Amino acid sequence: MQLNHDEYLTIALPKGKLFGLSANLFEKIGYTAEGLSDKSRKLVIANEEKKIKFIVSKTADVPTYVEYGAADIGVIGKDVLLESGKDVYELLDLGFGRCHLMMAVPKTEKRAKLTDYNHTRVATKFPHIAERFFNRHGMQMEYIKLNGSIELGPIVGLSESIVDIVETGTTLKENNLEEIVAIQEATARLIANRVSFKLKFDRINEMVTDLHRILEREAVAQ
Amino acid sequence: MEKNKNVLEIPYGTRDFLPNEAAGKRAIETKLAELFTEWGYDEVVTPTIEYLDNLTLGSSHSLEPHLFKLFDRNNRTLALRHEMTTPIARLVSSRLQDYPLPMKLSYISSVFRYEQTQTGRQCEFHQAGVELMGSTSAFADAEVIALAIRGMMCSGLKDFQLCLGQVEFINGIMEQYQLPPKMKEKLKDAMEKRDLVAFGDLIDHLALPENAKEVLKKLPLLNGGEDMLKDAYGFALNEQSRRALDNLCEIYHLLDAYGLTKYVRFDLGIIRDFNYYTGMVFEAYTRGLGFPLCGGGRYDHLLSDFGSACPATGFALGIERILLALERQNLKKPVRPKDIYLGYAQGKAGDAVKKAEELRCQGDVVEIALIPQTREAAAISQKDKGYKELVYLS
Repeated sequence: MQLNHDEYLTIALPKGKLFGLSANLFEKIGYTAEGLSDKSRKLVIANEEKKIKFIVSKTADVPTYVEYGAADIGVIGKDVLLESGKDVYELLDLGFGRCHLMMAVPKTEKRAKLTDYNHTRVATKFPHIAERFFNRHGMQMEYIKLNGSIELGPIVGLSESIVDIVETGTTLKENNLEEIVAIQEATARLIANRVSFKLKFDRINEMVTDLHRILEREAVAQ
Repeated sequence: MEKNKNVLEIPYGTRDFLPNEAAGKRAIETKLAELFTEWGYDEVVTPTIEYLDNLTLGSSHSLEPHLFKLFDRNNRTLALRHEMTTPIARLVSSRLQDYPLPMKLSYISSVFRYEQTQTGRQCEFHQAGVELMGSTSAFADAEVIALAIRGMMCSGLKDFQLCLGQVEFINGIMEQYQLPPKMKEKLKDAMEKRDLVAFGDLIDHLALPENAKEVLKKLPLLNGGEDMLKDAYGFALNEQSRRALDNLCEIYHLLDAYGLTKYVRFDLGIIRDFNYYTGMVFEAYTRGLGFPLCGGGRYDHLLSDFGSACPATGFALGIERILLALERQNLKKPVRPKDIYLGYAQGKAGDAVKKAEELRCQGDVVEIALIPQTREAAAISQKDKGYKELVYLS
């Protein structure tokens, strides 16, 4: 097994909507590489001069790369991070990619209390987060793991409810669903491998400090 | 032998050590056993199964789901030991009560934890370590740390880093801002989960002046050399946190006498996942391994939980983790090489036996052929079995 070379700092970025925002942010502190794009066919993009490597990976795989130390640093949504249950350092709330995880049911099927849904079926991409949430409320549910178009669950009679992320709520409305309880707010996080954080502390800490400064400046500007 | 097509399963999280793997494990264990003996540590062996209550006495409730449990004939709950510190604390506070202190004990044992398995993290794994009972001195802590470093060195590792912290520093800082016990627990929990975002959020919501919040937020980031430690004195406003830093300075100076400070770095944010630690704590890391190689610290109250108070300090090294690190860094395991394959012609069996005994007396590793062979056949056997040299009696 080839491990990441000592002198390089390897950063895993997720494809999709977080990619551009993260690449932008890293660029502001001088962390960039030629040809860094999530459309690139190259999976590892290096900046030889600054000793940085970027890995562009599928969103759900970022915590895995970081937990195993194949990447030292990663950017990932809190929702995906929580669902993965990986043992990594969570260093910084990057503030972007804001969404929230909630439970929704068809408008016509609303029940009086949350616990009235006990022992029903819930379709979700986040079965672990959902299970933890319902367990805290003393509820046992049947979790149906779907990989996309979660809203379809109640429409076709696959489940009574869904647990999913929403950004604007438009999709819910279009499918006659209504949020009944919020579960978790999520934003993008900077994560680090637990050993990299110790062995490359000075470099990582400097990066975190720089990122923090940029984020604060932007927060003030808004 | 007829080939068996079905490979039988073994339980989740366990593994077989095949001959060359077992040789590596044995070699490291032998080196460590010798080292512990040289430093005056006596080996002890405790049972693999203990009463559940005894194992969970000093630890948090979060431990229980990770234990392998079973029942004895009277329906008392038993558990497989999850580490060796607790069983040895039980031993010392009961059966070894009358032994003179300080007591230096060592072990090399298998331990069991339910874990999500990964390479280097199995449900059954092997630990080598020491416990030094009956001393509160920094000298004892320094000895334990020095021995941990020597242990990693004699296992063949070259490049590793030991991070040294002090739980009393964290406790002292939290105390100086008079945080309520619930809040302290929440903050430590966030640190243990390595969730610095939640840690920061908790602090933001405290009713404290900004500079106090800044100090608290720095806790997990106080990682560095002697200069960092000097800076940390600037945050330590009470006796408790200052004393913790004094203790680290003292340990560091002693490690200097051992000539080992180049492996040591301070990390005041270390929180180990066993909550029985009361003083200095440390973890060691190496390149290419996603988790610590070794961990330890001072635990002055665990023995009093078993009925007789006695301060103690110690560490445990993960044998599988050392093996994995050596492999990933292309380093040699301290395995004895296979020296001589001894072949012989028809009628020479008696001479061959005598020759083999003679060579073994000289310290060589010798395998003797079970049947007479031609020189050519013997040479092939020597190569196949990986012996350096062929001795042939014709």
